[in-house]
Amino acid sequence: MNLQPLYDVKSRLEQAAMAGAGLLGEDFRLQRAAEALKPLGAASPVFGKIVQGLEELLAAPAQEQGNRLLDVLALVNAVVYTQGVSTVPGELEPLPDGPRYMTCLPVSYGQLHPLLEALTGTGGGRMGVIQDTWEAHPEFFRDYRVLPALVRGLGESYAELAELNQKILTTQGKAVVPLLKEGLDPEGKREMARRVEVIAALEGAQATPWLLELLPRAKKDVRGAVIAGLGAGPDNAPLLLELVKTERGKSRQAALAALARQDGEAVRAFWAQELETNREAVDCLDGPRPDWASDLLAAGLRERLERALGEDKKLSMEAQAVLRPWCSAAQGKDSPAMLDFWRWVDGPLDALAQASHVADPAILEERVCTCLLNGLCQVGSAPLCQTALELWERDRERPRWIGHAFLAAVLLWEPAAVYETFSPYIQVQQPLARTEGKRLLHEGLLKALGRLHWEERRYVFDYGLSRPISQTLDPRWIGRLTHAVWRKIDGKERKYLPFGHGEVVGGFDRDLCNLANPDDPETCTQLVPYLRRRMEVLASQGSWYTYSRWILRFHGQFHDLLPKVVGKGQQKVYLYYVWQLFQLAFQDGYPPEQLAEGLEAVLASGALRAEDKELGRKAIPHTVVLLRGGRPFPEWSDWWDMR
Amino acid sequence: MMEVTEQFILLQAPNPAAAENGRKLWKKGSFSGLCQTEDGAVCWGECAGSGKTPYRVSIDWTNAQAPVCRCSCPSRQFPCKHALGLMFGMLEKSPFAVEALPQELAEKQAKQAARAAKKAQTAAKPKKTNTAAQKKKLSRQLEGLDMAEKMIGDLLTAGAGTLAGASAQSYDKLAKDLGSCYLTGLQASFARLALTVREIQKAPQGAQRGYAQALNILVALRSTIKKSRVFLQEKLDAGAYSAEDTLLFEALGGVWKLEDLRAIGSVRENARLVQLSFDVSLDPVKKEYVERGWWLDLDTGCIDQTLNYRPLKALKYVKGEDSCFALLEVPLLCLYPGEGNRRIRWESCASRPVTPQEQAALPALAQPGLAQAVKLAKGQFKNTLLPKYMAVLVPVGRLGQVDGALVLEDPAGERLRLRDRAEDGPDHACTARLSMLDVRPGSALFGLLFYDESDRTICLHPYSLVTPEQTARLLF
Repeated sequence: MNLQPLYDVKSRLEQAAMAGAGLLGEDFRLQRAAEALKPLGAASPVFGKIVQGLEELLAAPAQEQGNRLLDVLALVNAVVYTQGVSTVPGELEPLPDGPRYMTCLPVSYGQLHPLLEALTGTGGGRMGVIQDTWEAHPEFFRDYRVLPALVRGLGESYAELAELNQKILTTQGKAVVPLLKEGLDPEGKREMARRVEVIAALEGAQATPWLLELLPRAKKDVRGAVIAGLGAGPDNAPLLLELVKTERGKSRQAALAALARQDGEAVRAFWAQELETNREAVDCLDGPRPDWASDLLAAGLRERLERALGEDKKLSMEAQAVLRPWCSAAQGKDSPAMLDFWRWVDGPLDALAQASHVADPAILEERVCTCLLNGLCQVGSAPLCQTALELWERDRERPRWIGHAFLAAVLLWEPAAVYETFSPYIQVQQPLARTEGKRLLHEGLLKALGRLHWEERRYVFDYGLSRPISQTLDPRWIGRLTHAVWRKIDGKERKYLPFGHGEVVGGFDRDLCNLANPDDPETCTQLVPYLRRRMEVLASQGSWYTYSRWILRFHGQFHDLLPKVVGKGQQKVYLYYVWQLFQLAFQDGYPPEQLAEGLEAVLASGALRAEDKELGRKAIPHTVVLLRGGRPFPEWSDWWDMR
Repeated sequence: MMEVTEQFILLQAPNPAAAENGRKLWKKGSFSGLCQTEDGAVCWGECAGSGKTPYRVSIDWTNAQAPVCRCSCPSRQFPCKHALGLMFGMLEKSPFAVEALPQELAEKQAKQAARAAKKAQTAAKPKKTNTAAQKKKLSRQLEGLDMAEKMIGDLLTAGAGTLAGASAQSYDKLAKDLGSCYLTGLQASFARLALTVREIQKAPQGAQRGYAQALNILVALRSTIKKSRVFLQEKLDAGAYSAEDTLLFEALGGVWKLEDLRAIGSVRENARLVQLSFDVSLDPVKKEYVERGWWLDLDTGCIDQTLNYRPLKALKYVKGEDSCFALLEVPLLCLYPGEGNRRIRWESCASRPVTPQEQAALPALAQPGLAQAVKLAKGQFKNTLLPKYMAVLVPVGRLGQVDGALVLEDPAGERLRLRDRAEDGPDHACTARLSMLDVRPGSALFGLLFYDESDRTICLHPYSLVTPEQTARLLF
């Protein structure tokens, strides 16, 4: 049965209802549709009823037409619904191959909805939700409801959020690859490029066939990502060598980055030439690369340093700056040629330091030495460590390599052996002779010690980023360092704001607190008295908050010092930081009575800034009463509400 | 002592923030003097607040599924963060000293028992009807129906498309008068109509669907008015003022109370319910969130729904619902009048995990085939007072594609298109998630059958995949 007349009538009735039933008499299209329905009306009673209803509608007085129109429409709708098509003819093809998730997590709306909203919505605060959920419930991100949203999140306009989503996706395993490939537009923007980057990161060399298939269609950002991804395939060198000839701009840069991961004589030959002609290409050799890269960097560095030595005129700062990317790329490389370079460079550095034609020899020396120091922190391979120790062994009384040797020893030796060998270089008494040499050795070692941090139950090496290491440090270091006679490096005291609220403290104390393990009772026993002394000595510098926090970290007492130190400096005290310190101390199990005494001392000092004085006079005594009554420490909002 | 789970605490909390605040209070060590009775039926303690005196907080577990939380704090949230904090204490198995029930709590418990007894007594007593007031109300409603009919007539004469701008405002005013005639349901329908017209004017590309929606509202309004007039007139003539098992009561704006549902016998005893899906949507007309749970009755195979309304203005004070993964044993399930997926409510229930045997039996509760499900749905769509969708559980044969569209085939070879229902909005779009699941024969698919105006087809918007092992939710 051809139902088109019925659908025409429905459409005309709807139009009439929207446009106004007052015009029904002039609606010829409705009349034509009604005419066309008549044959159906003759064939079936229900259609007949509609035809009759339409006739009555068109003949009805104007004031009745509105309601009659709805009556006819109700009847038409009922018939239309019953005629609704539910069959689907045609071949039923299986769904495309893809991951099938049958792990359905019993995660409720209340738990999942905020995450989905953060991934798909707009506005601020979303990054926090995603980050917190990632830390607390990483399993939520495996959910099939979350994954597609996470993939869409690669197109987030807030780049940091898109990067976080990318990072999360790269931990989800190869199961997400089909989802990433679904709807991938090779001509798309950054979102699509990120998809390719995730796939390449997850599949490595196995992604090559897919990347090769995508390459001819890929454009702009996606093309760059595809070419960069080809770097993981060990057999892609010939193609990449072609691409560096044909590609331009970012795509060529991607081809260079990919080619830097390849091996072989042709690749080496290409790079040897490229490094000569393209100053920026050396950046591509950063990070772990085959030995040829290490060899080329060693040769390049040596050549540039030799050229600097051979120059008649002063080496400009610009020319020195050219060395920076070379040093950066050489960081952590350990091919035999690179190790030879380090053995060689020791001599010329002395010469450079003497050369009057170099604009700033100290900077040049510093740059080269820091390159090895960073390499030890970043990679710290055994050959590199051995070389660092070898350089130091040449002359143990020379300060240049002592820090390198110390870090290498931390990685290779027992903690006690490291302490026994290197601790004598930390002077705990003013030397009577050869003071300058001893001071330089002392400072060289302090610099290296500053690279070691205790973070969440292990040590990490700091080289801009941090690398956890499994080795530890002899606790005797702390005791020795607390008695160090020199705290400055190169005659300057570095300044830091450890808790970021305006109190400036010296770099030595910061490094010492970073180095110490608060879970080790021996360390705490040695460090707390030192910090208490420093807190008193530095009272006039107004750094009581920072020292109190450090003392608290190492389970010591600070409250009794407060009367002596608070208000002795220039800076006025913010009430919020008073609350924060005491609240942290309360949570750490500091005795409430002592906290009460400390709070009273702060109030009595009169050092609160003018804006906080009135609130302090209310909040502090109230809190003292609470603490003495065995009650918990109030929230900041409780203090704030007392205004 | 009562065993609590984190899920249980989250379900008790009026909102996730309250639960989180309770957890923080516990973690911070704000509680002191934790005690319980010897049988563990009541536990209590003190919680330090911002004032000098700590709050006295207690939980009475006499009815373990519906604990009575008491607190001396002034919070309007029930349970408050202090009671939730105490529950977290129980979750962490903190030691509670055994003590005799304090006098104050004993008195409150006795008062509570007396109140419950009184309530039961009141419920048992037949309610007295104020016939004069009821008669007046019915007359007023009949007047209101005349007014509504005239409004529709006028609106259609001018054209529903004119319902925007100043015209919509004057209709809003008229619609408010319907509210004072005890016809709040009709008032809301007019507001919904105005909103639909505004949306068509804002986005003309969706006009076809919008017109159909607007006309559906008008047709339902017309039908409600016609049927209600007859119904109310008969009641008035007969002097019958008690509640009756009819959809019209709610359509006019009436609100059912559980005791009324019990009075008309619209109940099911000892029901065992499993939630198939949960979703939340915003009703922009009533300015409230609608939290909807779809439940399968294990004994009858009926699919019913719970609806929890949370007005935006009182969001903080109305407890939010959440997904439920347990099996609920409901002694007395109250059903709202209607057909198809009826709204259900209950006063108390016990929850326990779904056993593997019960889960394995769920797919068998699906309709025999797609044809039967579609027939049922078409029957519902024809009724102008019922929604134009129907929740069904249908058996799965195969899942595949025809011309790129997702299609479900039942074991008998009948097919149905799977697609998102546009009216549900983008936040309910979940059909694509189905292709990420391993859909095997022997499973069942739960979703909404609906008529899609765009190509005049009956489609299924899948919400969950029910397998013998688990229920994989495409929404929540």
